[in-house]
Amino acid sequence: MRPKGSRHDFIVFYSLAAPTSIVVLILLLMLATQLGLSLPVFGVQGLSTLTTTIWRPSYTPPPDGAWYGLLPAIWGTMTSAVIAVFLATILSLSLVVVIEEVASRRFREVFSTIVDLMAGMPTVIFGVWGLAFLGPTLEKWIMDPLHSHLSFIPLFSCEPLSGATVFTAGILLSVMIVPFMVAIIQESYRAIPMTLKEAAWSLGMTRYEYVKLNINMIKPAIASALLLGFGRASSETAAVTLVVGNSFNIGYCIFQPAYTISSLIANQFTEAQDFPYMMNALFAGGLTLLVIGIIVNSIGIIYLRRVRF
Amino acid sequence: MANLKLVAGVLIVLVVVGAAIMIVMRGGEGETAQSPETPRQVVLLGSGATFIHPQLDKWAKEFTAIYPSIRIEYNPTGSGTGQTQFMQKVVDFAGSDPPLPASRWAEARGRPEGVIQMPVILGSVVIAYNIPGLEGRLKLDGETIALIYKGEIEYWDDPRIKALNPDLKLPNQKIVAVHRSDSSGTTHIFTLFLHKAAPHVWPKELVEKAIEWPVDKTGRGLGGKGNQGVVELVRRTSYSIGYVEYAYAVLTGLPWALVRNVEGVFIDATPETIMAAAENAYPLLPPSLEDDFNKAWEAIVYAPGKNSYPITSFSFLIFYKVYSPDKVDAIKKFIEWVNTEGQKPKNIVEGYVPIPESIRQYNLRALQLIKSSG
Repeated sequence: MRPKGSRHDFIVFYSLAAPTSIVVLILLLMLATQLGLSLPVFGVQGLSTLTTTIWRPSYTPPPDGAWYGLLPAIWGTMTSAVIAVFLATILSLSLVVVIEEVASRRFREVFSTIVDLMAGMPTVIFGVWGLAFLGPTLEKWIMDPLHSHLSFIPLFSCEPLSGATVFTAGILLSVMIVPFMVAIIQESYRAIPMTLKEAAWSLGMTRYEYVKLNINMIKPAIASALLLGFGRASSETAAVTLVVGNSFNIGYCIFQPAYTISSLIANQFTEAQDFPYMMNALFAGGLTLLVIGIIVNSIGIIYLRRVRF
Repeated sequence: MANLKLVAGVLIVLVVVGAAIMIVMRGGEGETAQSPETPRQVVLLGSGATFIHPQLDKWAKEFTAIYPSIRIEYNPTGSGTGQTQFMQKVVDFAGSDPPLPASRWAEARGRPEGVIQMPVILGSVVIAYNIPGLEGRLKLDGETIALIYKGEIEYWDDPRIKALNPDLKLPNQKIVAVHRSDSSGTTHIFTLFLHKAAPHVWPKELVEKAIEWPVDKTGRGLGGKGNQGVVELVRRTSYSIGYVEYAYAVLTGLPWALVRNVEGVFIDATPETIMAAAENAYPLLPPSLEDDFNKAWEAIVYAPGKNSYPITSFSFLIFYKVYSPDKVDAIKKFIEWVNTEGQKPKNIVEGYVPIPESIRQYNLRALQLIKSSG
C-alpha cells in the first residue's frame, strides 16, 4: 500500500498526469491520423495496397488509372534493415569486447569518443558519404567480387551495376546504428557485478570462456539493442534516400537498387496531393512502418520476458 | 479509493488537454496570413516552380534596384503548390513549369479575377551520360532513349545505338537508366518528348510528372531526388544515362548527347537551338494570353525546325486579370520589365535561356488586359 500523502504530495504527483497524458495522447493521435488518412486507399485498392508491386501515379484514381502498391518498398525496408542489424550486431559486439577487454585505457577513450561522435552526426552526412564513397567502393571491392565468385548464391546472383543498391543501404545503416547499439551493450556489460567476474576468473576460465560468459549474461541488453537498431534502420530517411537507388524493384538479390517506405515518403510527399489517393498510399506506408515496428518490438518484449523470468 | 481518484484525475486532465488542443487548432484555422505591409512599399508575393526560382530571384533583385517601392517575393514550393495557391488567391502570381491544366484554367477563367499566363523563360532537358573512355559525342533519338528507359535496350553496343553512332566505340556494358524519384516538370517534359518522338514505344500513359518507370523492373533503373540527385548518380555510376535540366547540366561538366529533332538533325542543346525551338513554336501560341496554353506547351516539345533542340519547354508565370488598385501598377511594371530589360543577357542567370523577341511582344499584350479592381 502507498503511504498516505499530504496535500502537497497530492498536488505534485497529480500534476504529473498532464505531461504524461500529453505524450500518450500524441502517440494515439498519431496512430489515429495514420490510420484515418490511409483508410481511403485501402477502401479503393483493398489489402492489395500491401501486396502488389506497381506504383503508378496518375490523375485518374485507382484502380482504373493510378495504382499504389507498397510491396517493393516494404521489401526494401525489411531487407536493408535486416542487413543493417545483422552486421551492426557483429560490429558492436566486437567493439564492446575490444573496448572492455582488450584495449588499453587510452585506446578505449579514443574509441569511445569516436563512437559517441558518430551517434550525434546528422544522418544526411552519412548519406552523402555513402553516395560519394561507400557505394562506389562497395561496388568495386565487395559486390563485384562476391558476384563473380559466389553468383550461385541467390543473394549475390545479380550483377551490381551501380553503388546505389539495397546492400549499400544496409551497410550504411549498420554503420549508423552501431553507436546506439554499442552504447546499450556497453553499459550493460559494465554493469555485470565485479563479484561474478572475479568468480569466473577464480574458476580458471580462459579469456575466451570469460567473455562468452559475460555476453551470455547481457543477452537481454543485446536484444534491446537489436530492437532499437532495427527501429532506427527501418525508419532512417535522409541517408537511405541517397544510396538505396529509389527504384521500384523487388527480388531476392541484394545488389539491386530498391526503395524503402521512408525514402518513398521523402521523395513523393511534396507533390502527392496532386494525384488522387497518392497521399493516402504514403500514409498507408507510414502505417505499415508503425505496424512493423510494433510487431518487432512485441517479439522483443516476449523474448525479454522469457530470458528474465 | 485512491485508484478511483487517480482515474478521475487522469480523465479530467485528458478532457482539458483535448479541449485545449481543439481550441488551439480552431483558432489556427480562423487566422489568415496577412503580411504586415508598410504603406509605401508594395510587396508582390509569388510561389511555385523551383526551376524558375534562381532566375526570378535575379529579376526581383534587379527590378527592385530600379523600382525601390516594389518588392518581389517568391517561394519555390513546386509548380503544383504554386497553382493551388494561385487558385486559392493567396498569392499575387504563380510560377509553373506546365501551364494550368485545362480544368483549372477553365475554372480560373470563369472567375471575376480571370487568368493570364505567359511563357517568360525557356528550359530544356539534356540527356547526360557517363561512359568511361568514350571519345566523341553520343547521338541519340527519341526512340532509342525510350527503349533504354523501357529496359528493352540493355547494352551500350546495342545495334540500335550503334546505327546512330557508327564512328563511336561503344562498350559492351549494361546501361543504367537514371530518372527522377520525385515529381518533376523535368520528368513531364522528358516523357512528353519520348511520347511525341516514339509514340509506338512510349505510350501516352507514361507521360506525367511522376510515372511508373518500366526500366526499374529490370534492376537497371535508378531514381535520384532532384536534378542534383540525378547528376550525382550519373557521375558516380559508370555506363549510366540520365535526363537533367539544362540550366543544371551546364554547371556540372557531364557530357550530354546530341538528340535528333523532327527534321532528323542531331542537335546540341545551346541557348541558340533552345531559342530556335521557341521561335518555331511561336505560331502555335494561343491567340490570347487568357487562353488555355496546354497545346502550345506540348507544341514546343519536339518542335519543327532544323535548328530546334527537341526537348525544350516554356516556364510560365501566371497572373490574375484584375488586381487591387495598390498592386495593379506594380504588377504591370513587373511584367513590362521582365519582358524587356529582364530578357537582356545581363539579367539572365547562367544556364537559363531568354524567350525570343516575338514572344516578348506577345507577352506585353498583358499590359492591356490587366485592370484595377478600384
